Amino acid sequence: MTKDELTEEESLSGKDYLDPPPVKTFEVRELKKWSFYRAVIAEFIATLLFLYVTVLTVIGFKSQTDINAGGGACASVGLLGISWAFGGMIFILVYCTAGISGGHINPAVTFGLFLASKVSLVRAVSYMVAQCLGATCGVGLVKVFQSTYYNRYGGGANMLSDGYNVGVGVGAEIIGTFVLVYTVFSATDPKRNARDSHIPVLAPLPIGFSVFMVHLATIPITGTGINPARSFGAAVIYNNQKAWDDQWIFWVGPFVGAAIAAFYHQFVLRAGAMKAYGSVRSQLHELHA
Amino acid sequence: MSKEVSEEGKTHHGKDYVDPPPAPLLDMGELKSWSFYRALIAEFIATLLFLYVTVATVIGHKKQTGPCDGVGLLGIAWAFGGMIFVLVYCTAGISGGHINPAVTFGLFLARKVSLVRALGYMIAQCLGAICGVGFVKAFMKTPYNTLGGGANTVADGYSKGTALGAEIIGTFVLVYTVFSATDPKRSARDSHIPVLAPLPIGFAVFMVHLATIPITGTGINPARSFGAAVIYNNEKAWDDQWIFWVGPFLGALAAAAYHQYILRASAIKALGSFRSNATN
Repeated sequence: MTKDELTEEESLSGKDYLDPPPVKTFEVRELKKWSFYRAVIAEFIATLLFLYVTVLTVIGFKSQTDINAGGGACASVGLLGISWAFGGMIFILVYCTAGISGGHINPAVTFGLFLASKVSLVRAVSYMVAQCLGATCGVGLVKVFQSTYYNRYGGGANMLSDGYNVGVGVGAEIIGTFVLVYTVFSATDPKRNARDSHIPVLAPLPIGFSVFMVHLATIPITGTGINPARSFGAAVIYNNQKAWDDQWIFWVGPFVGAAIAAFYHQFVLRAGAMKAYGSVRSQLHELHA
Repeated sequence: MSKEVSEEGKTHHGKDYVDPPPAPLLDMGELKSWSFYRALIAEFIATLLFLYVTVATVIGHKKQTGPCDGVGLLGIAWAFGGMIFVLVYCTAGISGGHINPAVTFGLFLARKVSLVRALGYMIAQCLGAICGVGFVKAFMKTPYNTLGGGANTVADGYSKGTALGAEIIGTFVLVYTVFSATDPKRSARDSHIPVLAPLPIGFAVFMVHLATIPITGTGINPARSFGAAVIYNNEKAWDDQWIFWVGPFLGALAAAAYHQYILRASAIKALGSFRSNATN
């Protein structure tokens, strides 16, 4: 994009990118648009596929490594393979749905973007509902395909592992979700896109990798939630007492982590508050630069 | 970008890129700029997250009770390399995404960061590393203490010289990749898409970990080794600590010299500037 093509507003600010205006919290006009429902459907399908592939990988791993049932300790994809399933699937699905719904596939990501005024309340709530429904259907498919294995091997549900207390579980979920949502913010930052020559297609890779990384670190602690829809879907289909007892960890932790990431990105890295305060000075500085 | 619209200065020497001027050695003006402190915060947070995820992965793996119960050494290598990729990607536009005192040192030698910034970054990285490992200890205290604390030490059967050599070469690979990924001449040929830089840097870390985890657990990042040593506070970790500073810094120095004086031929170009301009 050459300088000549910059809009008047952009040329005045001396930047080659334009921050989109904050989305109105109570925007309801989008309820009348097909693109809104298409986005909701996309989130539903993406989360369904995400849970289907990942939970199926988890159940497969546990059944193949069950010594008592004739399995071998190293007979499956291992925890590394499970981590790849989660991270790789997020990469693929974000890539596919980024242009349709923003590719959230995670209520925590939706919440973080809502806090940053990038999605409206109506859209945020709708996405979360679609994601939870998609997750439930995805795990439901896994159960339908192998009901016995599914019930025997923990249903892919997130629960606090033995030896870890609730505080550790919440802390791990907070930091893990912070990594993910922080990466999402970095990948979707318009300033970043300008420097990437506006090729947003490259954003899904680090997002998928961040999910992969966090799974490597926290599978031993909680099985790694960092996605309330994922934890919710598995809990619904597995319907186990402990899964429900621990369920709050997988909503509070991710939402707190997303809030911290939103704050960090908006007020520290992008200096939103300071920018508003020193807008005159910064504009003078930019003109001088 | 076509030749026609290129700046007059660029058409003069026929290149479609401009090497940035050397960073001033002592630039105190930086201390007054918010972007400097934002960069420090970004380096601190990035190194904190790096150590938290990677050391948690290490402890989680060592905690396994049977073969193939953990993510494996391959998973540990992925944790280090993948996390560097993600974090360099996130902080490249803010602080340059160093996350490693050796990288900062190499870039300082190449005059790409000032002394003030280099020192500031290194301190932020070490503090972030300490906090990151501190989180791991808080979350899994017993296994952390009994399973080596994720600290870098020279493994049995290897001499200190071998470990030092492994750290030097490993860091050379990393810093050399960083120089290649951030070379303005290279960026021009990649059509100025810097997003592609973090991936080879992350892979360089991944590759070196595959090679040297058996020798030293792979430092190649003094902040990483320092943070683990502080929190684990074990005598052997401290005894071997010097290897994880001298090795990486020597490796970074070698990479800086190789890139600046051989690949980019700064010295030779200075001598024959007239002739080289003609050929360009």
